[in-house]
Amino acid sequence: MNSVNNENSTSAINVDYEQPVSQHPALTEAIFTVKRFIKNPLSIIGLTIILVFTLIAIFAPFLAPPENERDPYRIPHDGWTISPSPPSADHPFGTMEQQYDIFYGIIWGTRSAFKIGFSVVLINLIIGVILGSIAGYYGGLFDEIIMRITDMFYALPFLVVAMALVVALGRGLQSIIIVMIILGWPTYTRMIRGDILTIREKDYILAARASGTSDLKIIIRHILPNSVYSVLIVASMNIGATVLTAAALSFLGLGAETGYADWGQMVSMCRNWIVGPPDARLAYWYVVFIPGFVIALFVLGWNLLGDAARDVFDPKMRRK
Amino acid sequence: MILVLVGVSLIVFAIMMLIPEGQRVAIYVTGEKIRNEQIDSLIVKYGLRDPAPVQYFRWIKNIFKGDFGHSITASAPVIEGFKMYFPVTLELVLYSTPLIILVGIWLGTIGAVHKDKPIDHFTRIFAIVGYSLPTFWLGLMLMMFFYGLLGIFPPGTISIVGKDILYNPEYHQYTRILTIDAILNGNWRMFWDAIYHLTLPTINLVLLSSALIMRLMRSSMIDALGQDYIRTAMAKGADKKTIYNTHARRNALIPVITISGLMFAGLMGGMVITETIFARKGIGLWMARAATQLDVAAIMFNVLFLGVVFVVINLIVDLIYAWVDPRIRLT
Amino acid sequence: MEKLVEAEELRTNFYTFEGVVKALNGVSLVVNNGETYGLVGESGCGKSVSVRSMMRIVQAPGKIEEGKVVLFFNEKDRNKGIDILKRSEAYMQSIRGNDISMIFQEAGTALNPVLSIGFQVGESFLLHRRGEMIKLAVKTLDKKIDENSNSLFRMWRKFHKRLLQNETDDLERYKTEIVKIDSDLYRTEGKTDSKSLEKHKRLLVNRERLNKQGLKVRLQLKTPIIRRYVRRINAAVREKVIELLTDLGVPNPGNIVDRYPHELSGGMQQRIVISIALACNPTLLIADEPTSNLDVTIQAQILDLIRQLKKTQISSVLFITHDLGVVAEICDRVTVMYAGDTCETASVKDLFKEPMHPYTKGLLKSVPKGEIGEKLQTIPGTVPNLITPPSGCRFHPRCPDVMEICKSQKPEMLMMKDGHSVACHLYRKK
Ligand SMILES: Nc1ncnc2c1ncn2[C@@H]1O[C@H](COP(=O)(O)OP(=O)(O)O)[C@@H](O)[C@H]1O
Ligand code: SF4
Ligand SMILES: [Mg+2]
Repeated sequence: MNSVNNENSTSAINVDYEQPVSQHPALTEAIFTVKRFIKNPLSIIGLTIILVFTLIAIFAPFLAPPENERDPYRIPHDGWTISPSPPSADHPFGTMEQQYDIFYGIIWGTRSAFKIGFSVVLINLIIGVILGSIAGYYGGLFDEIIMRITDMFYALPFLVVAMALVVALGRGLQSIIIVMIILGWPTYTRMIRGDILTIREKDYILAARASGTSDLKIIIRHILPNSVYSVLIVASMNIGATVLTAAALSFLGLGAETGYADWGQMVSMCRNWIVGPPDARLAYWYVVFIPGFVIALFVLGWNLLGDAARDVFDPKMRRK
Repeated sequence: MILVLVGVSLIVFAIMMLIPEGQRVAIYVTGEKIRNEQIDSLIVKYGLRDPAPVQYFRWIKNIFKGDFGHSITASAPVIEGFKMYFPVTLELVLYSTPLIILVGIWLGTIGAVHKDKPIDHFTRIFAIVGYSLPTFWLGLMLMMFFYGLLGIFPPGTISIVGKDILYNPEYHQYTRILTIDAILNGNWRMFWDAIYHLTLPTINLVLLSSALIMRLMRSSMIDALGQDYIRTAMAKGADKKTIYNTHARRNALIPVITISGLMFAGLMGGMVITETIFARKGIGLWMARAATQLDVAAIMFNVLFLGVVFVVINLIVDLIYAWVDPRIRLT
Repeated sequence: MEKLVEAEELRTNFYTFEGVVKALNGVSLVVNNGETYGLVGESGCGKSVSVRSMMRIVQAPGKIEEGKVVLFFNEKDRNKGIDILKRSEAYMQSIRGNDISMIFQEAGTALNPVLSIGFQVGESFLLHRRGEMIKLAVKTLDKKIDENSNSLFRMWRKFHKRLLQNETDDLERYKTEIVKIDSDLYRTEGKTDSKSLEKHKRLLVNRERLNKQGLKVRLQLKTPIIRRYVRRINAAVREKVIELLTDLGVPNPGNIVDRYPHELSGGMQQRIVISIALACNPTLLIADEPTSNLDVTIQAQILDLIRQLKKTQISSVLFITHDLGVVAEICDRVTVMYAGDTCETASVKDLFKEPMHPYTKGLLKSVPKGEIGEKLQTIPGTVPNLITPPSGCRFHPRCPDVMEICKSQKPEMLMMKDGHSVACHLYRKK
């Protein structure tokens, strides 16, 4: 690389390679990764979607001031009229059955969505890291038991079991979150275990072991950083998937009670309003369209992010 | 295999044990409402406070006797409910699964062959949107557009006219699967009626479930096309079609097959939601109703049933896998 | 010496995420009729890419940017060649595996893991010798028709014979049409007047569009039950494959044809790859480091086999290797490559006796000659990254004789004496 750039220097990427090798390889790698990530329009769309949702969640009290400060997740409603009313100045997105304000529900529902997604994925991640590290690093009987348990979980269709579990625990958003934690950890555990198994026998790990570094230190210092990318990609896609599943369970009538600011709950209420009166069959489109659309957008954001990240980090893709 | 089935039964049983005894009693009671003071005696009568292992073995014994209790939502023994609901679900599965696999593999191959061309981006966006869209929302939108706006493809399994035919003594229900019975009876009117009602649910399932297969097929096909053996085939003078169909596709299918078990799990979930939206009286709808009405017997039976089906599907997937990949055959 | 294939100024790039890999920087070489031609260079210098470009089988993300690959296969008119980079893909398919074929570095990955050996070898026959295979099938069928008097069987077999006959007729039609188009193409090749150019273009399109199989044959190949007659062709192919494998010294070929690649040893896999290449008796065999990943004894066997085949079956061999010992052993003439450039071309004797290019000299110094106490020298530095290759002479950062001009100007190929040329500024006429 000790040369000046010559003949048909083409793409801007060349710049990376002209930089002297003196730069730390990890840094070069990081710069390269970020550049690739930014060049991908899909990842930018995903990032924007998630950023907008984050801002909405943060500024929810300003966007939709709650009537009751102590219980902001309760959607305010204008009387008890059954049929929804269309968007108006008061209700930008219209109202649902019993005049619950859709706009308010969407804004505060964003917070619910983040809560559901983050709490489930984070707790699963912690369980997965702990169990997966132990199983992968020490192997033996513990590994065997954990793997057999995850096998059993994999042998069951997710949503169906989730339904039964939610029924068993009693309906509500709380139960949905707990159920998804119970059913979600095997994915992460397996993944981290697999990663650790491949790294465990690498020379530098063996060297660290031989030099008497403590196991915990080896796991935290050397092993986990290696699998962090792949786990984060899956985690980011799973945030979307989690919200999606929670919404599906709510849709089936197992979620929060009527009037709670949760997208899934809002969708579950719309089933009766698919077809309007004979003279205006799409009269209630906003009730059906808006909450579902927001869920789709949220999930899409996370998926785009995860998908783009996978392309960037996947060593096989990079070479092509 | 047996071990996995035992595991499945254990998990289902564990979930069942989480339910308070007072509600579990419902499994054993047929029909009439139970008065509160009766509950306690019933709990004792059916041994619902016995140690868990005892209850487990009793439950298993009942299962082998074919006794799954009484379903409130079906207002019949669970087994009778199953016989009623299952054919409807099976019919939807029969039409959607081959379509999902074909569409997924076809679009995935197109994406791989035209990598980075407009059509590839198009299929890619189709896939990402496909697995981001909530099943229920897409279903609702389809219904709003086709049934709500255009007035075609109504929900349900069959029209009123169709029902009349169904209960006509001259019309035999051999399999209870509407389209197949219609063909066996030579009744085309009935056949089209059933297809008419199947269209939207099938589209809904295919759009959503084929996305996963498509994505995987695309990436594994791209992978296969970059392999050395493709170059060997090119050097032999093979044409593009032969290379794609004979040399690359089979290799590309291997990872797709391993993931298809997962796809079926998703399909079962999608089935519950799709049947709920399109008001098809299959086991998905039954389950959804059972879940909201605390019909414990029906829920537990269906979880167990779907669990077993899923185990069997995975076994079949393994067999297909071994058939496609000769390297697996020996081990 | 008559030329057989000539590559001129080939440039091939790979468009990767990291940037454009300029793998070939104007590679030229000539393989003469009847010779064994060597291509040497360190690994990564573009030997494989060169020959793949010559066969037009560079896989994505690679692209042949410019250059010519001229074939002089036409018996009547030896001096005028066909530039295959300008010909249609269909034409290439008829050449590959038929006139030119190739064996690969890693037999393990060159074979398709999910297809049986019999199929992979037999495919060459099916692609280029379908007519002969059908003839064989008809022959066995005739015998069976005579043997068996059961009338139902007889009818079935006669029906199959009819179908096979359909295919033969169809192939005949295809052959006459293709021969006509090809000879027209050949006549318009290289002409520059607008009328000929127009015609040439039209002919290329026609050739691409020409259906190898007519509607009738395609139908009978696709219709279930009816298409079962194909099994008779496959049986004939199987016989041919077994015959071919026997010729190549594969033990127990009847068993091997039903095996899969992973069940064979490395040496056996390489023999299978060779048999795929040899199925249709090519004029030119390109061997891309066929022995690099094998044990020494197996290596010797495979080399022997290729030498043998050169004597009996194939007229010319283009042999790629990074091992100068092998070059000395089997090649007549040799070209040395470095980082996508051709450095020097000479007869093997000349090259070893008086190497001219500094890189060739370096290479020769790094080869053990078997003398006791000899000192081996390596060339300092490493092969450059071809995304940002060195300017001028790509060897200049490592060259002991580097001059100012080398950094800015690419040296041209200079003919030093008969059959010995070198690309280096040292030999420029002052
Ligand atoms: N698929 C590919 N993608 C990117 N670069 C490639 C690819 N194939 C070959 N190259 C580049 O082309 C150059 C020559 O490779 P090759 O012809 O395989 O070398 P050799 O056969 O002499 O060992 C190498 O520098 C390599 O980086
Ligand atoms: S041209 Fe210059 S740098 Fe290149 S080999 Fe000759 S002397 Fe060395
Ligand atoms: Mg090579």
